[in-house]
Amino acid sequence: MTEDKLLAEMQALRDRVAGITGTAVASRDGLIIREDTGGPDPDNLAALAATALALAQRLATEAGQGTLREAAIRSSGGHVAIYAVGATAVLVLLGDEGLDIARLHRESRATVDSIEKLLG
Amino acid sequence: MNIAMSENDLVGPLREALVVAAVAGMSGTLRVTGDPGGTIHLANGRVAGIETPGAPGPEVLLLRSRRVSEPAWDAGFAAAAAAGVPLGAELVKRGIIGSGELEALLCTAVADSMFVLASGTVDDYRAEQGPVDFVLPLDAGAEADWLLTETARRLQVLASLPVRPDRGRIVAASGAEPLDLRQGEILALADGRRTARDLAFALGRGVYATLLQLARMYEAGLLVTAAERAGFQPGGWKLGHSAPSGTPAPAGELPRRSKDPAALARRVVPRGRSRDLPASLGLLRPRGRRDVDPGETP
Repeated sequence: MTEDKLLAEMQALRDRVAGITGTAVASRDGLIIREDTGGPDPDNLAALAATALALAQRLATEAGQGTLREAAIRSSGGHVAIYAVGATAVLVLLGDEGLDIARLHRESRATVDSIEKLLG
Repeated sequence: MNIAMSENDLVGPLREALVVAAVAGMSGTLRVTGDPGGTIHLANGRVAGIETPGAPGPEVLLLRSRRVSEPAWDAGFAAAAAAGVPLGAELVKRGIIGSGELEALLCTAVADSMFVLASGTVDDYRAEQGPVDFVLPLDAGAEADWLLTETARRLQVLASLPVRPDRGRIVAASGAEPLDLRQGEILALADGRRTARDLAFALGRGVYATLLQLARMYEAGLLVTAAERAGFQPGGWKLGHSAPSGTPAPAGELPRRSKDPAALARRVVPRGRSRDLPASLGLLRPRGRRDVDPGETP
């Protein structure tokens, strides 16, 4: 039941932000909790996202830049954005080249909070 | 119906913004907030390029359509940056793309992005003067009058189509057989997760050209919307274009023009509301002309 609500939150974010092609929620130890990736392997994505988030947080700390907001990766064919969900999970968003980054920043915060509550 | 009327009715607040910028010969940007919103780059009152999350820009059109390879693009980009020359000139010099083809593609990209901006909602826009800062500007720039007329025409066509740019995820009908490669490409991507806008990005084609292709396939029964597949009726389509704010100008009356870009910059347009087009527009269809985008072989 929680997983359905989780999926609904992920899909609602995809509906609100143009350019999101897939979403996944994983645990901090890299195991998939719920996925709607639309193609890319969810297990690999979960493992890499958890690692990337940990690295990004260390990098931000090392640079003395405070709390990590998100880790964003831009490639020739699109974007990957990774958000910390509380201390136990990670939200991964996949987007195309036209992903509306500004809207994503605005809209993702509420989704992260909702997911954190759902995961309890 | 004359075209001037339909511009007033259809293009909405961006019409006045572009006309004012054209009259003032403004260079800089018009930042459009709304859905999808975007940035219109202006050079001497003409539109040099548009960035919007709602439509693929030149880079996506060139790379996703495989017209230009990524290594060639990267090499051209690096060389242009190092030499301080425009990227377009460098791509042409390297023989990666012909100057005529590039110009046609950039012009199509501008028209497509303008159509997408105008078909969405416009909450506000703000003019900022400055140099043109766009990765692949259209050298001569698109003339505002032409762009507005073309946008109005496309919005009229959109009103008659069963698909919208950013709503309705499209899925292949069961047993759909493609008639050609392009239909096959679309059927392979139409997995119920993508809107027309998403398909345009995936294919590296303009949103408008994609909509026309989708409409043909939809009418041929090759595609359905994900909502229809799930058993809903497709009666909920609404055209999400922004209505001009306030009282519409009487027919034939031109909008008030200002030659002062600073005055334009101070203007704030109240949020435009989506509304349905008059039903009669739903009957309009493109006549006597073929819509071709750069990704389409005429």
